[in-house]
Amino acid sequence: MRRRLWAVGLFLATGLMFSLCAYAAEPIVIGVPTSTGFVEGKEGLAIVEMAVAEINAKGGVKVGAEKRMFKVEAIDIRDAAPGVPVPEALMGIEKLILEKKPTVLLIGPFRSEALLAAMDILTKYKVPLLGTIAMTPATEGKVKQEPDKYKYVFRTCLNAIYLVKNLVGTMSHINKEFGFNKVYIMHQDVAWARATADGMVKNYFQKAGWTVVGQESYPTGAADFSSALMKARSAGAQVILPIFDMPQSGTLVKQWKAMKVPALMAGFISPLAGPGAWKTFDKKIGGAINCNFELGSAIASPKVPQSVAFLKAYQKKMGKPMEAGHGPAPTYESVYILKEAIERAGSLEPDALVAEIKKTDRSGVMGRIKFDEGNQAVFGMDPKEAAVASVFQWNDKGERVTVFPESIADAKIMLPAGLKSAK
Amino acid sequence: MLLGTIIYAVINSVILILMSIGFNLTFGISGISNFAYGSLYIFAAFTTYMLLQLVGLPYPVAALVSIALTAVIGALMYRFILMRVRGQVLSEVIATFGIGLAILEFFRYLGFVGVEYALPVFIDDSFMIGEVYVDAQRIIIVAASVVLVGLLWVFVHYTSLGLAFRGIAQDERTALTFGMDSDWIATLSVSLGAALAAVAATVIIPLGTISVSQGYDVLINALAVSIIGGLGSTGGVIVASLLVGFAQRFTDTYIGSHWTMIVSLAAILIVLVIKPSGIYGKQKELEERI
Repeated sequence: MRRRLWAVGLFLATGLMFSLCAYAAEPIVIGVPTSTGFVEGKEGLAIVEMAVAEINAKGGVKVGAEKRMFKVEAIDIRDAAPGVPVPEALMGIEKLILEKKPTVLLIGPFRSEALLAAMDILTKYKVPLLGTIAMTPATEGKVKQEPDKYKYVFRTCLNAIYLVKNLVGTMSHINKEFGFNKVYIMHQDVAWARATADGMVKNYFQKAGWTVVGQESYPTGAADFSSALMKARSAGAQVILPIFDMPQSGTLVKQWKAMKVPALMAGFISPLAGPGAWKTFDKKIGGAINCNFELGSAIASPKVPQSVAFLKAYQKKMGKPMEAGHGPAPTYESVYILKEAIERAGSLEPDALVAEIKKTDRSGVMGRIKFDEGNQAVFGMDPKEAAVASVFQWNDKGERVTVFPESIADAKIMLPAGLKSAK
Repeated sequence: MLLGTIIYAVINSVILILMSIGFNLTFGISGISNFAYGSLYIFAAFTTYMLLQLVGLPYPVAALVSIALTAVIGALMYRFILMRVRGQVLSEVIATFGIGLAILEFFRYLGFVGVEYALPVFIDDSFMIGEVYVDAQRIIIVAASVVLVGLLWVFVHYTSLGLAFRGIAQDERTALTFGMDSDWIATLSVSLGAALAAVAATVIIPLGTISVSQGYDVLINALAVSIIGGLGSTGGVIVASLLVGFAQRFTDTYIGSHWTMIVSLAAILIVLVIKPSGIYGKQKELEERI
């Protein structure tokens, strides 16, 4: 009798173990197809893993009546690397979808043309994407034109239109504070930077009575900006507007300091985004003003406590501070947007999930997140109303002080040596 | 503006000389086109960075150790791989390019991506020349380049090893009859070329940051200048660097910065059409005359 009881007990225990294994073997797969060889992709992937670990530690995601874990599957699609053709990136995305069967994709391509081309693949396999890097507004246009077909594509990061709005806001603020109205524009010779520069000229500088004393485009990889800086000086530029995302662009600020050009450097230079820039660029960046695309992406504001907690959690997990000024915050938010959408939908069915993602309204590390009709997260100037970017100035102590938008600003803009207010 | 353009054109030219002199020297002596040259430049930069930041060595020591290590890598590359394919030009190119790719992608695999990798400037100051501010690091680059070219000239003209280098470069078979070990000299030439790439990295990198993709840019610059000047000719490299350096800066100032790359490529095309062996090239000189 005792032997029989043992056998039954063993049978039940084995059955229970197998059922637990089967239960644990069905996590919800989050696919991350992006350029992991670049800082935004590398940190973005680490952040997806961090958010997933947080959610799993609290028991996972409630899908209907059951709780399930998240699991991350990544692939390096290398689209950000020079010379990598779009089809190669698309093959990477399709491979991830077919082999790992993700419920949703996060981060996505860097290059807008890769994202635009990937939209049809996402429709084909009905896999939603919460993109956090590529910035072309053309995706929203496609979503608006054919909502049923392209409803799977969302963007939680800033797009090019919102970037222009933030730069316009910064220039307007500088004009109001100091009366400056002569600008020299320097930008990278790539589509998004050209479009941003031209957008600034057409939509703001010409209308607001500024004089564009020069505009110079630089091929990716350029590392000597002396000619343009000399031209800016001789043309009497009061503001230099840089728009760059190449690693070499930090050299521009070092040269601006070394050549003592009496103009305010204010715009976007990606290597200046994180706290490590102070050491990287030999403490030669004091005075430069930089726009981080999303609050929480390597910069926090005490006025949005979630952003402070997010950066602290990242540093604790990774052992070093975040450096990417574009991508990390919306990536973190995307994981939670997904969790909440799954729980509301009670299912992983793509159409139901997309419908719930669309209804998102949450306050997180970059402010309040809601999607517009083109599935773009709405950005504004007040974190209580919308997601916000953060424009900050490096001071001579190596600190980054938020100067715009006014709702999260901590200080006024300081002018570099040799430059006086025109007011 | 003109003075400033001239000053920065000189600096730009000197940077090109530093970037390409090692590549050209290796080719001039051993006939090997070291397509891993840009990777060795990046290897030296990351090694210096690691010795500085992780091991905590003082900068001069870190730089010297890094230069020595890069030279050893160059020598090993020749002894274990290139010696077996020497004389087969295509195999040499494929082998060195493969090694270069492996080095660069290995750093990428290890996670050396981002903008936080940089080397400190030697002197943190800037000086006024005429009415133009120039930072001390750029002045150091010019001085280092002049010293380096001078030392190389003395080395190849007044030391027995240098004379052996020239002997092999002029006529390898005749040099062999005088007891010079061709493989040993070739090993040293690849090693010295690698060391020169490391020296260039140590003085140029403090102007910006270290990134894996720079390896390809350095190789392209070295190739461009060497082709224009004439592969294997040190004088050619200097003249070509001055030509390209001045053309780039003047184009940047007076035409537009996005034309600078086109100017370099156009210079290569023009030289190849008029004198395929380059300004001071000897490779096809006889054929060209005929």
